[in-house]
This record gives sequence, C-alpha cells and structure tokens, in this order.
Amino acid sequence: MMVASWKLYAMIISTLHRHFILRQIIRSKRQATVFVMCVSLSIVSLIALNGFSTSVHTSLLKDARALHAADIIIRSNYDLSPAITDRVEQLEQDGIVASARVYEFYSVVRTEKNRDSVLAKLKVVDKGYPFYGQIVLQSDKKFKDVLTPGSIIVSQTLLDRLQLKVGDQLHVGQALLTIEDIIMQEPDQPVNFFFLGPRIFISTDDLDRLDLVKKGSRVRYACLLKVRDEKQINPIVQQLNAVADRDFVYINTFRSAESGVKRFFDNFLFFLSLIGIFTLLLAGIGIQSTLTAFLKEKEKTIAILKTVGATSKFFTRHFILILSLLGLMGTMLGIFLGFVLQHVLHVLFKGLLPPNVELVISLAAVIEGLCLGVLVVGLFSFLPLHRLKDIKPITILRKESIRSKKNLPYLMTASVIFLSFIGMVLWQLREVKTGVYFIVGVTMLILISAIASEMLLFLLKKLKLKPLVIRQALRGLFRPRNATKPIIITLTTSLTVIFSIYLIEQNLDATYIQSYPPAAPNFFFIDIQPSQLKEFSQSLGQKAEYYPIVRAKIAAINGKKINRQSQRQRRGDNLARTFNLTYRNHLLKDEVIIKGKNLFREDWHDLQVSVLDKVMEIKKMAIGDRIRFKIQGIPLEARISSIRTRTRESIQPYFYFVFPEKALQDAPQTVFTAVRVEKHRRSELQTELVKKFPNVSAIDVTETLSIFARVLEKLSLIIRFFTLFSIIAGILIIISSILATRFARIQEAVYYKILGAKAVFVLKVFTLENLFLGMVSAGLALLLSQIGSWIICSAILEIAYTPFLLNCFFLILATVILIVTIGLLPSSSILRQKPVLFLREQTQE
Amino acid sequence: MNLIEAKHVTKTYTIGDRQIPVLDNISLSVTNGEFLVVEGSSGSGKTTLLCLLSGLDRPTSGRVLIEEKDITETPEDDLAPLRNQMIGFVFQSFHLVPSLTAIENVMFPAELKHDPRAHQKAQVLLKRVGLATRIDNFPHQLSGGEMQRVAMCRALINDPKIIFADEPTGNLDSENGEAILELLLEFHRERHSTLVLVTHNNKIATMADRMIILHDGRIVETIRHDYQHIA
Repeated sequence: MMVASWKLYAMIISTLHRHFILRQIIRSKRQATVFVMCVSLSIVSLIALNGFSTSVHTSLLKDARALHAADIIIRSNYDLSPAITDRVEQLEQDGIVASARVYEFYSVVRTEKNRDSVLAKLKVVDKGYPFYGQIVLQSDKKFKDVLTPGSIIVSQTLLDRLQLKVGDQLHVGQALLTIEDIIMQEPDQPVNFFFLGPRIFISTDDLDRLDLVKKGSRVRYACLLKVRDEKQINPIVQQLNAVADRDFVYINTFRSAESGVKRFFDNFLFFLSLIGIFTLLLAGIGIQSTLTAFLKEKEKTIAILKTVGATSKFFTRHFILILSLLGLMGTMLGIFLGFVLQHVLHVLFKGLLPPNVELVISLAAVIEGLCLGVLVVGLFSFLPLHRLKDIKPITILRKESIRSKKNLPYLMTASVIFLSFIGMVLWQLREVKTGVYFIVGVTMLILISAIASEMLLFLLKKLKLKPLVIRQALRGLFRPRNATKPIIITLTTSLTVIFSIYLIEQNLDATYIQSYPPAAPNFFFIDIQPSQLKEFSQSLGQKAEYYPIVRAKIAAINGKKINRQSQRQRRGDNLARTFNLTYRNHLLKDEVIIKGKNLFREDWHDLQVSVLDKVMEIKKMAIGDRIRFKIQGIPLEARISSIRTRTRESIQPYFYFVFPEKALQDAPQTVFTAVRVEKHRRSELQTELVKKFPNVSAIDVTETLSIFARVLEKLSLIIRFFTLFSIIAGILIIISSILATRFARIQEAVYYKILGAKAVFVLKVFTLENLFLGMVSAGLALLLSQIGSWIICSAILEIAYTPFLLNCFFLILATVILIVTIGLLPSSSILRQKPVLFLREQTQE
Repeated sequence: MNLIEAKHVTKTYTIGDRQIPVLDNISLSVTNGEFLVVEGSSGSGKTTLLCLLSGLDRPTSGRVLIEEKDITETPEDDLAPLRNQMIGFVFQSFHLVPSLTAIENVMFPAELKHDPRAHQKAQVLLKRVGLATRIDNFPHQLSGGEMQRVAMCRALINDPKIIFADEPTGNLDSENGEAILELLLEFHRERHSTLVLVTHNNKIATMADRMIILHDGRIVETIRHDYQHIA
C-alpha cells in the first residue's frame, strides 16, 4: 500500500514542472499574497470562535463540579416537595450524601438608619455550601468560618452603592445583619454581568428571621448534594427522579446540569459563528475575484505556452498545485491568526468570561481549520480554474476577452459548489433550520446588493457629466479587469450588516434608555402578598393597577405532553419555563383581540384562557385548543377562548395567559404593580415601602435597563468587531482589483501626463474613483440597512424607528475615508511612475 | 529663432550594474516651422532623442531648451502646460486611453486646458481624418490605422507649435502608413508647426527640411532639403 502510494506520488511529481510553478507564484506575488490573505480571512474568525468556544466549554466542564458546587443539583422555582426532602434526609442519614440548601432571590436591602436602599441578589446557604470550588473572600478567611448566623458577606458593589464598610449593619427583610466580609469570587457564579443587584450571602439560620420567603415569592430553591461514592451519583439521581414531579423539579448531575453562563456563551458564540460564516462567504468572493485576476495575468503566458504544445491538462494540474500551495499557506496563516484572535476575544469578553478560562489550541481545532481551508479553496477556486481550458493559443493575437461558456456542465458544477457551500454552513452551524434561514437571508442580501449595484453602475455609466476629472473617475470604474462589482457587492453586504446592527442598537437605546417613555412605569413592585394589598396601596399613595400573579408551568397542549428537554434547547422563548398567569375579565389598554370575539366566551362552560399572540411564536395554537397547566403540582386544563395582541411595544406589564377572574381567585398568588415614580421620590419611596413590606421587591426599571444597556453595548462591540472582518474581505478585493488593473492605471496615468495633465489631476481621478466606490457601497448599504432596521424595529421589536441620519452621515464618511485611503495606498507608486519609463517598456514589447 | 535646442546632450541608462550610453554629446537645434526627420537603425537612440527634446525624459548631461527656456531641470508638473499646449505627440503604439472613446481621447488635451470648444474641435478633426462615424468607438474597437488617426487628432487638437512623431507608421501597413504621413504633413504645412518625425520612410524623408541620421547615439549625418551633406 505504502509502495503504491509512493509510486503514485513519484509519478505525479515527475510530471510537474517545478520551475513553472515557482515562476507563476513569484511573478504574481502580490496577487498570490492577496489570495493567501483571502483564504486566511475566510477561516480566521471561525477558527477563533471554534477554538474560543472549545476553551470556554473545556474550562467550564473541567471544573463542572465547582461550577455547580455539588455532585447533584436539585433545582425548582417552588419549595421542594416533602417527597424530595425526605428522600434527601434519608440518604444523608445513611451517610451516602451530604446536602446543603440554597435559596436565591432578589430583595431590597436598607442601611441601618434607613437612609439608602438597593435591590440585591440574596443567596441564603446552608453551612456545607459550597461542596466544591471555593468562595474567595477579601480577608482570605474560610467562607464557612465567616458566614455565621447574624452575619452576611457582600460584594464590593453593594458597599460602594450604600457607602458602607465591613462591620456596618444592613436591614435584610426583617433582620438586621452585620457585614463580615467581601466576596471576591464565587465558584458557581463565575460571571455576574446579568445580575440586577449586588450579591449578599446569608446563612440559612437567618432565613426565617428575614421573613422574605412567602407563598408565591420568586425564589430559586436548590438542594446541593455531595455524594460520598461517585458511582452512586446516577443511581441517586434516578431515585430522586422517581419521587419528584419532573414538571417542577430539575435534578441533574454536575455533568448534565446546564449553567446559565454556558447557555449564554453557546447562544452568543453561535450568533458570532453566523457572522464568521458571513465573513467566510465574502472572503470566498474575494478568493474568486483575486484568483480570476491572478489567472487573467497568466492568460497571455498560457496562450503562448499552448502555441508551443502545452495542454490544458498541464495548466489545470499545475494551477491546482499552485492554488493548493497558496491555499495551504492561507490555511496555516488562518489557523495561526485564529489562535491569536482567540486571545483578542479573551480581552473583548473581559467581564463576561469566567476567570478560570484557559485558551487551548486543540488538535481537533487545527484539523477542522485545515478541512475548512481545503473546502473554502476548493469551492471558491473551482470556477476560475474551470476557465483555463477556454484559453486558446489564438488569444495572443486577438483583442477580445475570453468568455467562459455557461453551458449545462458549467451550471451543474456551479450548483454542486453551491450545495457544497450549504453543506459546509450546516456542518459549521450544526443546526439545519437556522442554517437554512441564514443561507436564504445571506443569499437574499447578496442578491439584492448585486442587483442594486448592477442598476446603480448602469446609471453611472449612462451619466453624462461635464467635469473632466469626474468623468475620468467614473470611466475608471468600468476599466477592464476592474473588480468594481465584486467590490461593491462585498462592501455593501458587510456594511449593511454593520450599519443594521448599529441602527438597531441605537433605536433600542433611544427607545428604552435615552428617552424612557415619559408615561411608562419606572418602578415594578413584585411579590406583594394579597393580604398586604390594601396597606401597600395606601403607602404607595398613587393610583396603580394591581395584577395578581399565579406561577404555573405548562404540562400539555391538546393532551400532548411538553417535551421539556427539547423546549429548553430552543434559542428563543420556550414552553418549559414557568409562566405568570393572571386573571381579569377585561382587556388592557394596549391589547386587542385578533382571534375570537371576546376575551372569554359565554357559551363555553368549561375553564377558558386567553392567549397572547407571542405564545404562537413558540408553538402554533388555535381557538379551542386545550392547555394543561400545573400550579404547584395541581393540574388545571383550559380551552383557548381568544388570542390577543399588543397594539404597541411599551414598558407596560403584559401576560401570556389570562384567565377569568373566578377561575384563579383562590390559587396561591402574589400581586404585582408597575408605577411611575418621579426621580426625586424613588429612593425615599423604595426605602419606605421596603421598610414596611420587606418581602416586596422594588425594581427600578431605568437602572435595570442601564445594566442591560451596558451589556448590550459590550455585546454589540464584539459583534461589530467580528463584522469588521467581512469589511476586510472587501478591502482585499479592492487591493486585488488595483493590482489586477495596475497596468491599466499606470497606462492611464502616463497618458494623462503626456497629454499635459499634472500629477494632481491623476491623483484627483484616482481619489474620485475610490470615492465613488465608497459612496456607492456605503450609500447602498445605508439604504438596505435603513430598510432592514426599520422592518426589524417596527415589525419584530415593535418600537418607533428613528433613522439617525446624522450618525449615518458619519458612518458613510468614515467608510468613504477608509476606502479612499485603502484605494490610494497601492496607487501611490502608480502616481510616481515616470512616463518615459512606461513608454520605453511598451516600445520594447 | 531656434524653437528647440539641445546642447551637448548625453543619455546613459543604468540596467543593473551596467551603464548603457544611448546618446553621446548631441547638439542640435530645430527652428520654428521646420520639418525634421530623424533616422537611424534600431537602438541608435532616435526615440530617446525625441523623448529628451520633448521633455518626456531628462538628459544625463547637457541641456534642452524650448523657446530658449531650459527644460532640463523643470519639475514634472511645470512641464505639464508645455506638453498640453505647445507639444503634440504621435507614437508608434498609438497610446490611446483604453477607457475613453475616440472623441474623448481627442478632446482630452483640450478639456485639460478648459477649452469650451473641445467637443466641436474634436469632431471637426475626426471628420477630417475620415472617422466621423467612429467617434464613439473605444480604441479596442478600432483598427490600427484608425487608432493612429485618432492619436494624430489628439496631438493636434490644441494647435501645438511642435509635433513629435515617433515612427507613427511602424505598426501600420504601407497603405495606412502613407495616409497617416500625408495627413501629418498636411497639418504641418497648414498650421506651420514644427514637425520632428522619426521614420524609415525615404519618400517622406526627402520631403523634410532636414534629416539627421543617428548611429550609436551620435549624429553621423545631417542632410538638408537640398541634399547637401553637412558632416
């Protein structure tokens, strides 16, 4: 076998002309360099993202026990049932496990003298917590020694916001507790960028004194288990599952448990990989464009060599090898840069990443990069290589350009390439539905860009302009071999994505952050007990609508059980989560019925529910369908009587499921209200209400939104950073195009000079040419992004749309300056070219 | 008065480490309205001499004066108006701007000097050389003879005092070549411009006021119109 392979290799090598290969690369070294850069660009972001994702997952999984602080994690949004707690107690008594209870919830805490208050995220933990990992304290003392009854451990942010220090006291619920230490790091909360308030650790010994956990309160209950014998982990999980109501309790081992951090990174890195593939596609256009220019340069050589007997096969074989060599160089460079980029990502994600993430270079990532490189080069090089056979010896005598025949085999090859590209996208995304949507979306965007640029170029060609400089610059766009169309298409598509992200971010910011609706409520009070309602309403001292909330899960729809596992894997909203049900017999001001006549039907006598149309985005439902809910384990089946929609997207409470008043009046519930409080009253009101009603959580929406705005800004920055790579594809095509038309540009510059033009005239022509390129690309991108962003904002986000024209002007200006600079840099040597040198070369030819 | 004057002009090219002398101590003057033919074998320095006289290239030593103004050290940009308004070039390889149509190529020098009648002048010239129907054609759509006629119109549009023509018939068949030379002479006579022509065409050479023959970068012979051998 080895001998046969060696013989084959030797045979191939013997038929190759090494000098020819080297000469072709060296003579077109500039185009070859751009080709190599396009190949590396096409894979660099995917390599970086795949490697980064592996590093994050490895780090999270390597310390999975620490990330979950236990071997087995039992979680619920309701207090654990006696069946579970009894079973755990029994296991503990048998010496099989050690357990620790954990309660997590938000509450407003106050300073000792009730001067200031802040919403904090409380974690009430048993003595054994954490079983794995370590909570690092500022004092370096051991967590279990510091967290004693009556003491709390807080984050530095809380001290800063309330201007407290270690040793001061803090009202938490009904208890007055002493701050003992400061948390530096938590093992099971490696990142805290989504926290709405600073962290406080409290001992379970103080839980009752707090008096914060009431019926229906929003508490995340957990019981962490440390198993003495690791082999027992799975059997114990099975035992616990046997007694648990699995609609309400999640029992996982440290291996199977999903962390919020992991989920966030999965989703965000998936989104970034979409941008990575987008870059790959645009770099692919770059590869094709550069390669076409590279082979164009070789046309004359090929034609001459064909006249002396070289065959098409000879050229195809040799150019395949040349491209393989260049492709390999590009791939290796891409892999190397991908790993460098991983470190840049580490910096970009600072504050979002768990501290223990170590960047690894895995063999799998290198192999994947190689495969990707080979695929990219293969897919995007095939069609330009296909043209080689069309070069005839007569080309050296003829003036007309060689046109490839677009016959059936050509179209079939192009289709196979397109299908292979789809396969590659699906391989990278590993999600068929999203992959198909993505391909359709990107293809549409490229097609629209192509059609729009074609139309615009047609109009520009027809334009009769007087000023000589402008006319010459416009003519330059249509110079033979100029890659004007690929440049405009690539730049337009990449800029459209960048501009759209920017515009949507600006609109979200303007709607929710900068100009918070004047009439919108800015304070949410949650977990009001029904018994407190009257007194709370008096203390609040302003008119407010109170919404009863019953927390429930969906068990089945039309008798079909909800598959919780697959639902949780959905990227958007899912049916496996806990829903807030409410009851009322009227529509809210911003609601209308879109299906059905009234909220509830008088002719139906069984239990009814009105559903918000947003639920249909998760699962299609119709009037008459039956939904089985579970409220604290008690089943409740209701028929859909109407489907509602919201007339505007605003910061007003809304509910997915509304029941008739009578139906849920007796269910365990809390009350929620949203009010508008003027800025000067907020702090005072919060402190006063929380003092009277410690179990009620007050959420300052404007502050919460600013936290989200900060996160949004950071994520948007990362997204824009990645999208910039796609612009590089456009820039590489510009450079390749200038290299391909270098001769024509020198020729023009020389002729202009001979005819009496000054160097500044030539400079103006080249500048204007690039200016047109930039303006056409940026202008088209702006138009498309305005349309796209308007559709997204008004149809999906349902917010008012502002075009931000002044900002857009600066976006276009920056783009145009970039393109003109990039376009002029390689032209500088052309501008310096002396006419006589060029003429002499031409005469010698 | 001498319109063009070359004083002890030498030109040496450096290729790698080698110094290649092309012109060796040439002194020459061309008077206003004169028709001068430059002849010589390939590599004798004809084109280099033309380039030096027209200011397209600079001598290694010596000086070139046009209308008594020394152009040897004149910056490239200051030569631009001279090339635009005083000189017209016709090359063997035509050197038309490929992205411009015939009329646009012809108009270009006039447009550079903001002549409002550029289009009209170009049309008249192209019509005169028989290209009225090809004005919107691009260079690649024209034959060699047509391209050279366009190039000639371009050289003449600004009514230059001097026309430098470097083997304008070299890439053309004899019939087209004859026609081009006749047109060139016609314009020369009509406009009383100075014509410096590099050619191998003996018939035309005999029509010149003076002919110089170059060999190995030196003027080996000067023949006046009365066929008097000078040196």
